[in-house]
Amino acid sequence: MDILVCVKQVPDPETKLRVAPSGKSFDTDGVKFTINNTYDEAMVEEALRMKEEFGFTALRVISVGPPRAEEALRSALAMGADEAVLVETPADLPLDPLLVARYIAAAAKDIPHDLVMVGRQAQDDEAGVVGSALGEYLDLPSYSFVTDLAPVPANHLLKMKRYVEGGEEVFSAPFPAVLSILKGAKDPRTPTLPNILKARKKPLKKIPAKDLEAKVSALQGGAKPTSDILAFTLPPPRAGAKMIEFQTPEEAAERLIKLLKEEARVL
Amino acid sequence: MTLNVLVITDQREGHLKPSSLEAISEARSVVERSGGGSVTIGLIGSGLAEAQKEAKSQGVQRVLLADHESFKGFSAAAYAFAAERMAAKLSAPLAIFLPDTAMGRELAPRLGAKLGAGTATAVVEIQPGASGGLQIKRKVFGGKATETVNLLGTVVLSLRPNSFAIHPAPAGDPPVEPVEVGELPASAKGLAVERVISTRGDTPELTEAPIVVSGGRGLKTAENFVLVENLAKELGAAVGSSRAVVDAGWRPASYQVGQTGKIIAPQLYIACGISGAIQHLVGITNSRCIVAINKDPAAPIFKVADYGVAGDALTILPALTSLVARNKGA
Ligand SMILES: Cc1cc2nc3c(=O)[nH]c(=O)nc-3n(C[C@H](O)[C@H](O)[C@H](O)COP(=O)(O)OP(=O)(O)OC[C@H]3O[C@@H](n4cnc5c(N)ncnc54)[C@H](O)[C@@H]3O)c2cc1C
Ligand SMILES: Nc1ncnc2c1ncn2[C@@H]1O[C@H](COP(=O)(O)O)[C@@H](O)[C@H]1O
Repeated sequence: MDILVCVKQVPDPETKLRVAPSGKSFDTDGVKFTINNTYDEAMVEEALRMKEEFGFTALRVISVGPPRAEEALRSALAMGADEAVLVETPADLPLDPLLVARYIAAAAKDIPHDLVMVGRQAQDDEAGVVGSALGEYLDLPSYSFVTDLAPVPANHLLKMKRYVEGGEEVFSAPFPAVLSILKGAKDPRTPTLPNILKARKKPLKKIPAKDLEAKVSALQGGAKPTSDILAFTLPPPRAGAKMIEFQTPEEAAERLIKLLKEEARVL
Repeated sequence: MTLNVLVITDQREGHLKPSSLEAISEARSVVERSGGGSVTIGLIGSGLAEAQKEAKSQGVQRVLLADHESFKGFSAAAYAFAAERMAAKLSAPLAIFLPDTAMGRELAPRLGAKLGAGTATAVVEIQPGASGGLQIKRKVFGGKATETVNLLGTVVLSLRPNSFAIHPAPAGDPPVEPVEVGELPASAKGLAVERVISTRGDTPELTEAPIVVSGGRGLKTAENFVLVENLAKELGAAVGSSRAVVDAGWRPASYQVGQTGKIIAPQLYIACGISGAIQHLVGITNSRCIVAINKDPAAPIFKVADYGVAGDALTILPALTSLVARNKGA
């Protein structure tokens, strides 16, 4: 029983974004990259729990990206994943999240997977596309916004909770499947130094993207992206809050409501 | 360029959600701006008699219906299968709109993958492209940047709630056509919903409400959290919280806004006694207007807020509540 987790390398959330000269993306010059930590770390932690508590055996981690994406894979290995696969993309290869899903699907044909796990969304593109698209390309069911996960491996069933507007749904469904995790049972562990060192020696296989191109072309949508970014723009920086001066709570309320009505026009 | 738009709606208890109505209204508008075409509503689910009536009154040309037991619980694989059958009834150039709800966010990419379509989620603006296709805008990097994206061929979009106006629908009496879905693929079978835990009672849903009032640890006690709920009630707003409130057991996890909670984008967000930790901020930065009430003038929340009140939430909240109530009376 194998788990395949998908991680993305994204700019550190603290990075100050600048627009690239092309005007179509952010400028990667001098940017620090990290594992998609807000969401993928939570998912990797949940995958580790599946292994530790529910008898899943191997945990493999895959990323589609340039050579530097190896660092994100090493982070996942340091958390406890067993093996890694990097689908190495040249810098000039145009990608969109659906095409990334096609590359993962093409690579996954040769990687055993009873559970495929993705994060809720990437911190950069915030698409939330890869998971359920991967379900389609792998011809597997997908379950998203999962908040509570308990496999019953003997029956190939997952008992889950998922977020729906207005509440939560308790449901069961079969696996193999693709899961997107909204919230794991535990906060992500921080890799210890010995584990970071060990991770450097764990197997990491590199597959050049072009080796998968034939398989990718065979999937609906083909080897080219179906979306094209025309512009990447930054809003003017937030000036910080306009602070309301007041002597009494009533005065604060009067002034605030007036501003919300007349200036912000949101009431 | 004309355009045919299929809107796959999300229903709650058999009724079209406001976010579905927004998507339908925007579909009518995009078709008009494209120089003509048609809007079709696609209803997928089980027990859709009411939704059918509502769909008929939306000023659209057709209503397609897949009303069947096997669509009782939401399965992206099953719904995408049905949606593909519906799409096949329409001619190109075709765009499919969904509301960006939990259901829409999962269904849109699957449908996009099925159709090899240009796909985008959490869309906040839509323009017909100069040479066909659609140009959209969406927020990225936690609201720190905007992408303008050109989508090619068939287009699948999920539309962010609260980002599109609902315009009055013109009169019409569209036909309702049942769609023969046929045998579902193996990947679309076996999902069984045991029960739905409603966490909101009759208050509006966080991810869909135009106004959200949230409370944090600064409220000091579970009892004081009622002050947040009272203001929300007067404003017709949804109630949210920071994780600290959930961890303290004051309110259930469904209230939590942020990285491990809900990501919201209301017109107005009022944060009371919330410090503004990065994990909270990622859930709110796309709000149109943010108000912070916090005792500490140096709290990080004031950096992202539009309006700040440096003061005691325990006294300011009741003052706001009675003022809003009085204004309503006037
Ligand atoms: C992996 C991970 C995921 C997380 N996910 C989330 C998430 O999804 N959502 C989330 O919210 N947090 C999340 N957190 C927690 C987050 O880091 C903060 O701890 C949390 O948001 C703090 O909540 P708070 O602002 O209510 O409390 P505090 O940080 O304790 O802030 C309380 C604030 O109230 C102010 N205050 C005190 N008294 C008053 C008064 N009388 N009137 C007005 N103001 C007052 C104080 O000045 C202070 O700024 C996450 C953390 C981790 C590690
Ligand atoms: N390039 C990538 N390589 C591997 N996994 C990815 C990649 N991009 C996205 N993912 C996975 O898909 C999830 C959703 O990403 P997105 O659809 O881009 O918002 C992420 O949290 C990752 O788990």
